Amino acid sequence: MQTILIVDDEPHIRLLLEQSLEELENQGVVLLTAGDGKQALDIIKKEKPNLVFLDIMIPRMNGFDVCRALKDDAATKDIPVILLTAKGQEFDRQKGSEAGADLYITKPFDPDEVLARARELLRMSE
Amino acid sequence: MAEINLKKILSQQANRDAANDILVLLGETVCIQDTDGTVIMGAADDAAVKHAIQLSNETIGWVCGSDSAGTAASLIASLAAGERERRALARETLERYKELALLYRFIEKIALCLNLNEVAKLVIEETRKNIANTSASVMLLNQRTRNLEIIAAAGKEYSPKTTLKPGVGIGIAGTVFFTGKAEIVNNTSSDSRYVKGANRTASLMCAPLKTRDKVIGVINVGSEKPTVYTAANLRLLNMLTAQAALVIENAVFHENKLKEERVKSNLERYIAPQVVKAIMESKANIVFTPESRRITVLFSDIRGFTNTCEKQPPEKIVEQLNEYFTHMVDVIFTHGGTLNKFVGDMIVALFGAPAKSDTSEKQAIEAAIGMQKRLQSLPSAWIRNNFHTGIGINAGEVVVGNIGSPHHMDYTAIGDEMNIGSRLQSMAQGGQILVSRSVYEATKTLFSFKEIGSVQVKGKNTSVEVFEVLYQ
Repeated sequence: MQTILIVDDEPHIRLLLEQSLEELENQGVVLLTAGDGKQALDIIKKEKPNLVFLDIMIPRMNGFDVCRALKDDAATKDIPVILLTAKGQEFDRQKGSEAGADLYITKPFDPDEVLARARELLRMSE
Repeated sequence: MAEINLKKILSQQANRDAANDILVLLGETVCIQDTDGTVIMGAADDAAVKHAIQLSNETIGWVCGSDSAGTAASLIASLAAGERERRALARETLERYKELALLYRFIEKIALCLNLNEVAKLVIEETRKNIANTSASVMLLNQRTRNLEIIAAAGKEYSPKTTLKPGVGIGIAGTVFFTGKAEIVNNTSSDSRYVKGANRTASLMCAPLKTRDKVIGVINVGSEKPTVYTAANLRLLNMLTAQAALVIENAVFHENKLKEERVKSNLERYIAPQVVKAIMESKANIVFTPESRRITVLFSDIRGFTNTCEKQPPEKIVEQLNEYFTHMVDVIFTHGGTLNKFVGDMIVALFGAPAKSDTSEKQAIEAAIGMQKRLQSLPSAWIRNNFHTGIGINAGEVVVGNIGSPHHMDYTAIGDEMNIGSRLQSMAQGGQILVSRSVYEATKTLFSFKEIGSVQVKGKNTSVEVFEVLYQ
């Protein structure tokens, strides 16, 4: 059973991401959610999800730090991370790749793109 | 749409916790089963009573336990109802969000586009990606022909023009253009407005390209096979066209600006830049079609030019002439004059055309004095020594405007008063400025004059009174 963790502090964005991934959910993928960085890291360590959607601007440890912590831990370093960034923040990209993020999706995101990327990365982690 | 799956609902952390609490509260051997009997939570007991978990009269699972476990079934049913509502809301929200994301990317793509055809192509591309169709086109109103003309199209061909002239079928596009309201026509064969083209279109949508206050064109989307276009499709099309209209308006503006720039740079060769500016800004007062008008005309000629020419190689003469003309035109422009033409070494300039002026006589005299003075102060000693100009100025009614054949038009002036101006010039000695009585009357308080007398002009019965402008 595969799991995807969605991390965003805004409930409606979490809901939109969950809904974008409904097709995968119907195929048995479990969706987990977290509203801040600390909670996210706890879930990552405990559940070892197959993929993490990670917003950058989240309370209690931002997305970069969560990503870095995940990639620094041998137990979780292979989990792919998709960073969610706001439009046109080139600087974010630089910091994101330093933190070891695998992909970026800019907000407002394209739900179809979210689904397609999730599918690709899940297939690779199988 | 998506069936309510109990297992899925209970995989949500919050729901799972709530269900767990319920089971613990009951404090007995209870389990939750899927519709097909698979245990999702708790432990099964063979002797247990099965209570259906019902959602809108549909059984989505079972709670197995004692008689009182029925309470758990209804509690879990209400959890499911809540989840279903949440999902429905999420689905609805996602649809809106999709539109938002689409619009966002679309705007990003077209916002900086200044090429009209490119904008139209992008609009079509985006429309075709998101709405089922076999063809799509962008039509714009051609201001001159009053036709809606296709500027970009994709898929099966449309009729290239839709005329908007009354009495002719204006089609659905024409109707939308006039009403400014988008339409869905799912069955064109039952719509009398539909104009058949080369290819059959069974269903179509048409939306107006609306700028702030007017409709500039339409966007068509059509399908060969009967299709049911929905209100949601139309909403999306309207959204795209609203954005496209602004960008298209911008592109049209840019194109006109370019055209204007070209006209301007053409004009600037023979009209002073400030006059060109006035022409471009106040279209109302400027007429290029020939009309009768009172203007002042200035003729300037180099005395004994033919003799001068003989003393120099032709290339040298051309070089000196170019320098001389450049300075003279500069002075004419400075005083708001329009360069009419060069004839050999002669310069013809107009004042009060194409931009009207109440002080054209004064401007012409000031220009003439300026020309004489500039000539004396040119850096080239050879020009100073060999070019001596006589200037004649007359004012009166002439026909002025664009005259010529369609292949070659000149902005020029025609009439007897022109001939009088030319005659005055031919009488003027080097350094002399001669004017007619009409010019003298208009400016006698402004300059000093010497009365010369009357001369006969070829082909005219009356004689012309001549005055010389005295200047230092």
